[in-house]
Amino acid sequence: MNAIDDWTLVGESILRREDAYLLRGQGKFVDDLPVPQNTVHLGFVCSPFAHANITGIDISRAVALPGVIDVLTGNDFVGDILPFKPDIKIEGYREISRPVVATDTVRFVGEYVAVVLAETPYIAQDAIELVDVEYDPLPAVARIEDALDREAPVIFESLGDNVIFKSHFETEGFADHFASVEHVLEGEFHLGRVTGVPIEPRGCLGVIDPVADSYTLWTTTQVPHVVRTAIADHLRLPESIIRVVTPAVGGGFGVKSHIYPDELIVVALMRRYRRAVKWIQDRREELLSDAHAREHIHRIKVAVDAEAVIQAVELKLQTNGGAYANYPFSCTLEATGAARMLPGPYRIRNYKYDVVSVVTNTAPTGAYRGTGQPSCFLAIESMMDRIGRELNIDPADVRLRNLVQPEEFPYVNAVGVRYDTGSYKESLEKALEISGYREYKNRQPKDRLIDGKYRGIGICNYTEVSGTGAPGWRVRGFAKMPGFDSSRVVIEPDGRVAVYLSQADAGQGHYTTFAQVAADRLGVAWSDVTVIEGDTSKTPFGTGTFASRGSVVGGGSIIRCCEKVSAKVKRIVGEMLEIDPSDLVLSDGRVYPLGTPDKGLTLKQVAETAYSMNDIAMPEGEEHGLEATDYYDPPMVTMANGTHVVQAAVDPGDGTVEIERYFIVHDCGRVINPMIVRGQIHGATAQGIGEALMEEIVYDEDGQLLNANLLDYVLPLVLDIPDMEIAHIETPSIDTVGGIKGTAEGGLTGAVPAVANAVCDALSGLGINISRVPLRPSFILAQIDKAAG
Amino acid sequence: MSFKNLVGMFFKYPDTTRVTGAVEQNGRNDNDSATVQLTINGTVYKREVESRYLLVDFIRHEVGLKGTHIGCEHGVCGACTVLLNGNSARSCLQFAAALDGAQITTIEGIAEDGDLHPVQQAFHELHAVQCGYCTPGFLLTSIEFLRSHANPTREDIRRALVNNVCRCTGYVNIVEAVHKAASQLCHNSSEYDREQT
Amino acid sequence: MKPAPFKLCMPEEEQEILALLQSYGRDARILAGGQSLVPLMNMRIMQPQVLISLNRCTSLSYINAQGNGIAVGARTRQAEIEESEQIASRLSLLSKAMPYVGVRSSRNFGTVCGSLAHADPLAELPSVAAALDARFQLASVRGTREVSADEFYIGALTNCLEPDEMLRQVLFPALPPNSKSVFVEVSTRTHGFAVVGLAMCASIDSSAICRDVRLAAMGVSETTLRLRSAEAMLEGNTLSAELIDEVSRAATETMNPPHDIHADGNYRKRVACTLIKRALSEVVQR
Repeated sequence: MNAIDDWTLVGESILRREDAYLLRGQGKFVDDLPVPQNTVHLGFVCSPFAHANITGIDISRAVALPGVIDVLTGNDFVGDILPFKPDIKIEGYREISRPVVATDTVRFVGEYVAVVLAETPYIAQDAIELVDVEYDPLPAVARIEDALDREAPVIFESLGDNVIFKSHFETEGFADHFASVEHVLEGEFHLGRVTGVPIEPRGCLGVIDPVADSYTLWTTTQVPHVVRTAIADHLRLPESIIRVVTPAVGGGFGVKSHIYPDELIVVALMRRYRRAVKWIQDRREELLSDAHAREHIHRIKVAVDAEAVIQAVELKLQTNGGAYANYPFSCTLEATGAARMLPGPYRIRNYKYDVVSVVTNTAPTGAYRGTGQPSCFLAIESMMDRIGRELNIDPADVRLRNLVQPEEFPYVNAVGVRYDTGSYKESLEKALEISGYREYKNRQPKDRLIDGKYRGIGICNYTEVSGTGAPGWRVRGFAKMPGFDSSRVVIEPDGRVAVYLSQADAGQGHYTTFAQVAADRLGVAWSDVTVIEGDTSKTPFGTGTFASRGSVVGGGSIIRCCEKVSAKVKRIVGEMLEIDPSDLVLSDGRVYPLGTPDKGLTLKQVAETAYSMNDIAMPEGEEHGLEATDYYDPPMVTMANGTHVVQAAVDPGDGTVEIERYFIVHDCGRVINPMIVRGQIHGATAQGIGEALMEEIVYDEDGQLLNANLLDYVLPLVLDIPDMEIAHIETPSIDTVGGIKGTAEGGLTGAVPAVANAVCDALSGLGINISRVPLRPSFILAQIDKAAG
Repeated sequence: MSFKNLVGMFFKYPDTTRVTGAVEQNGRNDNDSATVQLTINGTVYKREVESRYLLVDFIRHEVGLKGTHIGCEHGVCGACTVLLNGNSARSCLQFAAALDGAQITTIEGIAEDGDLHPVQQAFHELHAVQCGYCTPGFLLTSIEFLRSHANPTREDIRRALVNNVCRCTGYVNIVEAVHKAASQLCHNSSEYDREQT
Repeated sequence: MKPAPFKLCMPEEEQEILALLQSYGRDARILAGGQSLVPLMNMRIMQPQVLISLNRCTSLSYINAQGNGIAVGARTRQAEIEESEQIASRLSLLSKAMPYVGVRSSRNFGTVCGSLAHADPLAELPSVAAALDARFQLASVRGTREVSADEFYIGALTNCLEPDEMLRQVLFPALPPNSKSVFVEVSTRTHGFAVVGLAMCASIDSSAICRDVRLAAMGVSETTLRLRSAEAMLEGNTLSAELIDEVSRAATETMNPPHDIHADGNYRKRVACTLIKRALSEVVQR
């Protein structure tokens, strides 16, 4: 579809234009926006209990504090704001709802219990301490196995038990295929709970326009249009009076692709009090109540023949959904994601999965970079190594024997997902080559002990679901995710170009890369293109920026939109010059017949006609203006891919892991800006290293979150992240416009299994199989001690 | 066992059914204020502020310099880093009222005459910025470091940059940018030396 | 996350500080660098009514030779210690531990005495002070007294200061000229928030005989722990591989470290053993 072979600016590492203000500290993040004089500052009283009935709330001391405007409790919002109820339309999903502020029962530590309105943020914090809440604690459930216990307390009576989602899938004749194979290897893999921790916490500022009776919400979101619809739905307001704007956003990572209670509360309160309302989250609140992710248990069986070819895979997956259904993904995003993505780049024809998601008294889980993929690839990629060890075949060769081969594309996997194009074999071979994998393996001693440390090498091949369109969201049950994105491209009267896009940047460099795409397609200078996004009043409706979709869907839409505009330009000029429009080209800010650049017109001259600013009339039947709008709904998904190879050293004295070398081969189809793609790989890989080695949200059995601060939620620092040697392969998609594939998540997806496998290989001399992440030093040392007896 | 766990256990109230804050036990504290004069990026600001007012809030909300960001407010992430009397500081851990007479440099005071500082320029050229939220902190840490390390190795730079947390870039390009800036600054100062002789 | 209100005092003289401590007692806290206190105040875990800032009391800022040692005043910043040549040459253990203490920005303002008084069992400086046989000088309007680390530390985040007392200075007796120092620690990541650490100094002669050995471990008990039996085993003996093995095992066998989310007691014990081996092996190699 739409193969393009005349790229000019696409593919260039153009330096980012947003740096100019970010480097000077002039980025306008939500807390940096000027606020009206009488702005109300919010503070939230959060539940200290994981599970309790609220028996009374006394606000009298708080409201008596000078500077406190009001204190509201859950009942004050009943009827005003409808509870969240994500419309998940998938078999096996059981609906529960979440009030924006708890009314009778709290179900996780950090849940909102009351809202304080104050004249300053300091007073708001003072007042929080003066709200006296009486709780009657209930038995709490924090862990998957406890939630599934027959004796477990039931968190939602309407469910009867704690299972919120169950899903089963199997390919035809699965049982027979599975039974016919000689080797069956089993594995169990646990992923710790993590969260995105963008350095900018969330926040919102609501400003009222009394004349128009309209409400503007500035909010740290990746999905402005979806937020607006959610506000309209839950507050029963017309969408037309709500404007959602995303200022500069300090990292999103999926965490900011949910709609949170505070966003609805801010709008409701500015309506009620007729004042601007501001809330800035603090780090503790972020760790307590923003969407968490992972906490999965995979139990996997792989049936493999004597040649190490996988014949069948059976997966039992359990995930901890948390206390409520997050909006709009609920807990099914990772559950369906991990199960459906597990076949990855491998030719797994016979596949069966059973997924169970439970509700627990922990923060609701949802999207975080990689969703599901780091999890399922930890399982399948670890099994590749185990097959190698079992059959005495190098794990790289096990992978090579099972990959989808180049001639098989487009390939449809066992769950029906189409892989448009890919370079799975080439990517692995290239990774083996640049990492010196074979030589490393040849030199490696059997006990893996070199200079007092256990040293090993690990591989992960991955596929990366990207650019999900409507069919992709529908098949996973998400009714509130449109799938398409849109753009409006305007050639202004001066011949320069404005691009209005439905997405929202959170650091990805949209203002640079999308200008590159439009300038490339319209033949204008990059500096003559302005990109405007993150504002529902300026841009057409669309889905937003998450799940590696920005470049695919946003870029695709801009390309199509530019085609529409340039077609109009050519029609106008064709008429003027009496030339067949298809013989015209747009280049260097001009429109001219192919091969005779001196003959044509500048875009400015064309624009003058289009905007009726000269004597040249528009061709008959042609409207004024020089713009187009495009809504691009991509196919179900487009599949990027890559390979990570990691060399790691484990210190047997303290269990610490050092990553010694890091190699990445990466294929995201057509690359718009290689510099930015490398940046995405670096960042995602660092987060993956964090997830593999140190990050974990820890709850105790009673549902107390034990590390809601950055001293105890351990993020990787610069010394934990090695240099990365990166090689690119560019295999354009045949399904997406421009051949673009997504790129934001593969680094994280590849890193978690590759690091785990390197550690596992290092410890293989001791007979240790790694079955969980994070691989904290204390865990590793305990494994070593256990193996030593 | 440590302050860290104490922090972690903040929400643990064993065997209590009625939860109130510490303020109740103590009664309300004196809410005093003081007049403080700070020189920020060369301009003198005199304000009356509450004793508890954090330097970062003074810079952001009293003075209106919004480039100093709040990331964690407990001294870990470094997004709020400024130079306080010439030394890098977590501005979320300083009370403005205790700093009367201090000299402060924020990110807004780094670029002279509108041109980017060599460290900023290197961050731009090597794509060491993504969302830009942690960036001012990294720049000030780097500037302090390069003042006393003319010719640092990448390893030196890595050790210095543990001062700050970045969640977007994976640090790789930040290390490269500081390295490049170091050689740029070294080059500049040797040119300066030549001009002087 | 904003601190609760408090009254701020900015005394200029030491006597003023002591008078304030006398009148406010338990309601007051000394604000030295604030790098441990202010995070707790921002989270409202601590809500002192009165803060007594040392910022204007410059007389408490010093690194002075005193007798056979070096005295560090209550207001002396950690970064000053890190950069002091006097400290590097005479108290190399303190110099070597400094890069592990927080990060550059916290060391620029955090004080040595503040960190010592905070008594975090996972902080480096209490173990360094214990290994250096430091003398803690406690001052009040009632007079001054001097205590050792063993006496100063009572438990996690708890010291022996009376409500009207401050840690006025800490005196580090100088190390013998031929003394060698090692500071090692292990954390869940490469730098930061230690799980276990060890401060060591010893004099080793040319035939590898150890004298004046001091070992102090952090992260294995509620307070810093001097490993006196290990020191005794080493004193006057040749530092052989066998002895190192024996000492590290014996020193940690009876430890019963607490557990937290980062590591269980067994891990701390194992790593303490490793760190003793590392530290001793390092001095042999030098």
